[in-house]
Amino acid sequence: MISFLILISTVVCFSAILALALNFQWGLGGMVNFGMAGLYALGTYSCALLMLKGGANTFFATLGAMAIVAAACGVIALVTLRVTEEDYFAIVTLGVGEMLRLVALNEDWLTKGALGLTGIPRPLGDVIAPEYYQYFLLGLSVALLAGTVWFLNVIARSPFGRIMRALREDDVVAATLGKHVLWARVRIFAIGGAIIGLAGSLHGFYYQYIDPTQFSNIVIAYAFMAVIAGGRGAHQGVIWGAAVVMVLLEGSRFMKDLIPVLDSDQLAAIRIIIIGIGLILLLVFRPQGFMREYRLQVNFK
Amino acid sequence: MLQTAFNGLVTGIIVTLPALAVTLLFGVLKFPNFAVGSMMTLAAYLVFALNVQLGWPLVISTAVVAVAFGGLLIAIDYVTFKPLRERGSITLMVASLGLGFVLENIARLAYGNTARSFAIELARPFRFLDIRMNREQMITIVVSTLAMLAMYFLLTRMPIGRAMRAVADNPALALVRGIESPRIIRWTWFIAGMLLAVGGVLIGMDRALEPPMGSSYLVAVFAAAILGGLGSPLGAFIGALVIGIVSELATLVIPPNYRIGIPLCVIALILIFRPQGLFGQPYIRK
Amino acid sequence: MSDILVIKELHAGYGEGDILKGIDITLPAGRVVTIIGPNGSGKSTLLKTLAGLLLARRGDIVLKEQSLRDLSPPRRVRAGLSYVPQEYNIFRNLTVLENLKIAREFMADRKMRGGTAISDELIELFPELPGKFKARAGNLSGGQRQMLAFACALTVHPEVLMLDEPSAGLSPKYMTDIFDTVKKVNARGVSVLMVEQNAIEALRISDTCVVMANGHVRLTALANQVLEMKDLHSLYLGDAKEEAVAS
Repeated sequence: MISFLILISTVVCFSAILALALNFQWGLGGMVNFGMAGLYALGTYSCALLMLKGGANTFFATLGAMAIVAAACGVIALVTLRVTEEDYFAIVTLGVGEMLRLVALNEDWLTKGALGLTGIPRPLGDVIAPEYYQYFLLGLSVALLAGTVWFLNVIARSPFGRIMRALREDDVVAATLGKHVLWARVRIFAIGGAIIGLAGSLHGFYYQYIDPTQFSNIVIAYAFMAVIAGGRGAHQGVIWGAAVVMVLLEGSRFMKDLIPVLDSDQLAAIRIIIIGIGLILLLVFRPQGFMREYRLQVNFK
Repeated sequence: MLQTAFNGLVTGIIVTLPALAVTLLFGVLKFPNFAVGSMMTLAAYLVFALNVQLGWPLVISTAVVAVAFGGLLIAIDYVTFKPLRERGSITLMVASLGLGFVLENIARLAYGNTARSFAIELARPFRFLDIRMNREQMITIVVSTLAMLAMYFLLTRMPIGRAMRAVADNPALALVRGIESPRIIRWTWFIAGMLLAVGGVLIGMDRALEPPMGSSYLVAVFAAAILGGLGSPLGAFIGALVIGIVSELATLVIPPNYRIGIPLCVIALILIFRPQGLFGQPYIRK
Repeated sequence: MSDILVIKELHAGYGEGDILKGIDITLPAGRVVTIIGPNGSGKSTLLKTLAGLLLARRGDIVLKEQSLRDLSPPRRVRAGLSYVPQEYNIFRNLTVLENLKIAREFMADRKMRGGTAISDELIELFPELPGKFKARAGNLSGGQRQMLAFACALTVHPEVLMLDEPSAGLSPKYMTDIFDTVKKVNARGVSVLMVEQNAIEALRISDTCVVMANGHVRLTALANQVLEMKDLHSLYLGDAKEEAVAS
């Protein structure tokens, strides 16, 4: 039981980091990322491949993964520079995410396709004894989560963050600054991408085995649910949201014991149906509405 | 080359009906509906149930499901999108994503992941002008063309179609011109439901029935709708043909698995050079 | 004489704070009332609220003894109140003929749904339109668009016609045409409530002039009395200055 709690806490940590990335891109930049799943896969695969094929150590592989996802996000934001309509942006990110997953599935020489990659090294994996490793990984995940929150708070309070908030709330300022706004969007989306890369690397360290099925679009639903359930766009809220969502999800795996007639495909389908309905119910019954929630709240002290 | 172009034309034609549904839904409701892929899947499985399990002819099964599915979408709209109507397009997009998960997995829950096909006897492909075509392709071309003509008639000759175009063009003006938008929204869902049901059956005939069959077309469908200028029905039709032919021709150069990359590049190019699409007008939000 | 449209203590606005802070205006049957006032005085907001695009927070709107307050915009049209917005007042992707047909097709009254939208009367009022029936409305010139929007609002045979700055951005020729048309329409029994910047032209065809500023009615007077005032310009520009100083 303790061991289960530790594992689930680790999952909550990297899911929360992923949700924070979404919250940041959406909250500060107003850019909704529907390509979350593919970009998350990009981060995980980049980190794993840098180690397995590139011979990098875990630290540099993580940095590399962050840089790669950041670059991918930067390109997405650049391509859509002229389009400030959120609808088009959503469609582009959805398409890019889909494309990235196809690469993971089809480039056998690189990603071993549907078989997936095994034996992903872990940070200090050969130094720490296996029976203590889960404690170390949890500690590392908590530290990285805390670091992410700290970093996002610094950005939100920086002059850059303040300008972005002013832009978002005042169309006149936005129109006056024009080009700067567009570049700021690129930067925000890329920073969010780096955080996705970090979450993806942790995902690889945790599972040590990755395959394309881990990155279906349902990942987007998790992230959105965490952000919405957390509400108000506050960092703590998003972390709590991620915790609740992941505990429910992991908990629902025990359904198998309750309803033995269903096979595993059907159980998986039921879980996803529940997630989908949950997402819609959250949207409908959150009385605050959506627009307020996504604003990043920062307390100036 | 000619054969590839023909195959591309058929692929494009398959995309026309869902692209038209997307463009109508976007025009009237002002958000991109990511559930259209799964809607096609579910409709195709419903037709499968009537056609294979009850043994009805495919044509009748499709007709029955098309009408019922239109009604089903009105009901779904009532419980999912209607309460969110005033909340902005992001909320609606996220809801449509969630709805997509639900619909696709209802199909998976009922029929599993195994590929299935409709009960139609196999026919020998025939040749025409050096192009090899099979009966499914012929059916696709004929059915889609008829559906497009019906849509053209509806949108230009019938009051409800004109009203749909009017709401898409300028929702606020439609209100003060006396057009009840809830009624138009219901009609739009109904018509989109019929288009998606027929589209789902055509996809199921072209390949096989699998839970992800509809969503795998999602990017191509949106590329077609954007290329045509979201909200422009004629544009969606031409956009779909262009996307189909270009992606199929591109498989001469790139691996077929990445066919989806072509619509994506098309979207990127349009967004960079002509954000309003080839035929579109910049639209007005409320 | 009976009042066809009565606006009582009307409050409305966007977000927090009201733009209309208690408006009282009456439109006698068969008359033309023109509202003038500086930018930001709430004139357009008033028409939008009357049309139902904006919710009235307080007060009432009464058309022929029937309160419109809780009616949706389409129902207000059916009740007899037709509105021509200042901008985006035609469906650009529809043809001229489709624009003209569309309003009547959704009237609850079966009698009105039948028959032709394009009466001889309408053609007489807008002689330029028949030649353009097949054209996409978005391709019309500014003046023609305004005429089309005007004509569309008349196809439903309204009791009261509301025009939001019908002459804005038009050439002098069309401006004269528009005001002539307003006069002709009024002569056929349609009461008109109009917001206008070109005060002098508009007041020549009006019975009553209402001056609005800062969300209030500042003055209600006979149009010809206002026209006789030498300092007509200062009447509303003066208010604008006053507001600029105040804000």
